[in-house]
Amino acid sequence: MKSILTLSLALASVAGATTYPLTVTDDLNRKVTLKAEPQRIVSMLPSDSETLCAIGACDKLVGVDDYSDYPQKVTTLPKMGGLYDPKIESIVALKPDLVLVSKYGKIVEALAQAGITVVAVNPETYEEVFSKTLVLGRLVNREQGAKFLITNMRRNIARTEILTKNAVKKPTVYVEVDPTPYSIGPNSFMGVLLSKAGARNIIPASMGDFPKVDPEFIVKANPQLILGVDAKAAAARPGWGSMTAVKTGKAMALPKELDTIFSRPGPRMPQALAQLAKLIHPELFK
Amino acid sequence: MSRNLPREALTSGERRSSGPVPGPRWVWPRTVLLLALLLSAIVFGTGLGSVTIAPGEVLGALWRGLASQFSGAELVSNDVIVWQIRLPRVMMGVLVGASLSVCGGAFQGVFRNPLADPYLLGVASGSALGATLAIVLDWPRALIPVSALVLALLAVAATLSLAREGRRFPPTRLILAGVVVGSVLSAATTALILRGEDRARQVLAYTLGDLGFSGWRDVLTVLPYAALGCGALLLLARALDTLQLGDLTARSLGVPVERLRLIVVVAASVATAGAVAYVGVIGFVGLIVPHMVRLAFGASHRILLPLSALLGGALLVYADLLARTSPLSQVGIVTTLLGGPFFLWLLRREKEI
Repeated sequence: MKSILTLSLALASVAGATTYPLTVTDDLNRKVTLKAEPQRIVSMLPSDSETLCAIGACDKLVGVDDYSDYPQKVTTLPKMGGLYDPKIESIVALKPDLVLVSKYGKIVEALAQAGITVVAVNPETYEEVFSKTLVLGRLVNREQGAKFLITNMRRNIARTEILTKNAVKKPTVYVEVDPTPYSIGPNSFMGVLLSKAGARNIIPASMGDFPKVDPEFIVKANPQLILGVDAKAAAARPGWGSMTAVKTGKAMALPKELDTIFSRPGPRMPQALAQLAKLIHPELFK
Repeated sequence: MSRNLPREALTSGERRSSGPVPGPRWVWPRTVLLLALLLSAIVFGTGLGSVTIAPGEVLGALWRGLASQFSGAELVSNDVIVWQIRLPRVMMGVLVGASLSVCGGAFQGVFRNPLADPYLLGVASGSALGATLAIVLDWPRALIPVSALVLALLAVAATLSLAREGRRFPPTRLILAGVVVGSVLSAATTALILRGEDRARQVLAYTLGDLGFSGWRDVLTVLPYAALGCGALLLLARALDTLQLGDLTARSLGVPVERLRLIVVVAASVATAGAVAYVGVIGFVGLIVPHMVRLAFGASHRILLPLSALLGGALLVYADLLARTSPLSQVGIVTTLLGGPFFLWLLRREKEI
């Protein structure tokens, strides 16, 4: 899903200022036209809220979804529900000139019928985190901010990577994102961060991005480190007591903050990577 | 569905001579056939999985696993997979499949309704609510089945008290009360899921039924519920046969109809709640297996209930084997996705005969 940006005026602006009206093709393959620079934005995706604030458009936000919790400023904004139970009427009442939504859920039709401009911006892969940041920057006339943020993020990620790239031992890791159990494949953005943090994921790419895993596969792979399951829960699972990671005390739940930012494809990806690398290679950060 | 009773269910001619399962002579070969099917399910379920282990090694692992119970020796690698992960998972499949099928058969008999299944009185929605509560409120994982079990039993209690008319429990009122209780609890569950969106997948997985992470301890916890509930139902098989003649006739033959209905409902709910609390709501098995047995072997409950247990156990183990070695990923998905078409085929074949 590459979202292609076409400027209705074929003049790519030199100064980085967006020219309106602007037509974009969003992540649902809808062509949407913005008549002017949006001033009242509702973001229904936590990662979009974070990105808007990070590129200097925080003051444009007038409402967010229930799960947007960063930065501090968005926590004071009116809450517009979640992915499956959005408060359509409240959103309309805010008179937004742009609503940013996820690809999923059924909010687009209802809002579009109410005559509100809706754009689906939904980063999912590692590279999309950067490309969608740029898309958001163009949408809200903060292209400079977006470019600056991207450069910053890439630089901070490289800082961590320099350390982990040459790590002597890269431990095999199993990451559990929910106890069903679901894990992460190497091509998901979380999987990319995991390998950048200097770990070898036990899940092969063939299993997909967010595979449900057969418990016996995990026992067979016998990872050296287990993230996302605390030691007690891991030891209590049938057959897990025999695993190296459980025996050596290398099974742990993710710290609360890391748990949030690790699963959020947004501007705090570099922080997630740094914290993850510290967990996997404490010896590199002394 | 035909409710024609085999004549032998009501005549007492051969009953004394033919051992624990009374009835005509052909019962034994079919019992043996289903026993063989169950055994094959256990063998394949233990031998196959996402990790490939040679048959010889599987046998060795079983032997070493058994020995470790007495010697306390620690198992390693593949032995752990076979003895601590696969075998208990298979046993859980047998227990749950058998329980759901026996309870389904008993419910269909006691309500004289071919659409009855073990979840008729709200057990499923009760346990789903209990599990969802525990998941969304982030309680320790060990509390999830406990919470599910308690709410499942509460749901049945609510259904019974809603349906009661004095000392009677009319079937129609029971079914309606079950529908109402089920709907209310499902709505509450949905509301909870929407508030805990990041855990929605976990809840969804539970409501589809999954045998993953079933260990020996879970099997031993479910066993008494299954044994008590299904044991009681098997003992009541003859009374259920008599009930097929209608309440009035059954009463005149000395069957305490109201008490029988209550006991069957409570016994089946206990067995179902125990199973569902640990593995989630596995659909379809309890509805379809009794019908399959009826189509193939006859409708007398003394044949139907024990054979349903054998077939249900075997089918669920096979379904789970398919689930853990294919992208279908959950046993509840397999039972519903493959069970439906298969059953329709069976029904059509039946018509042609």
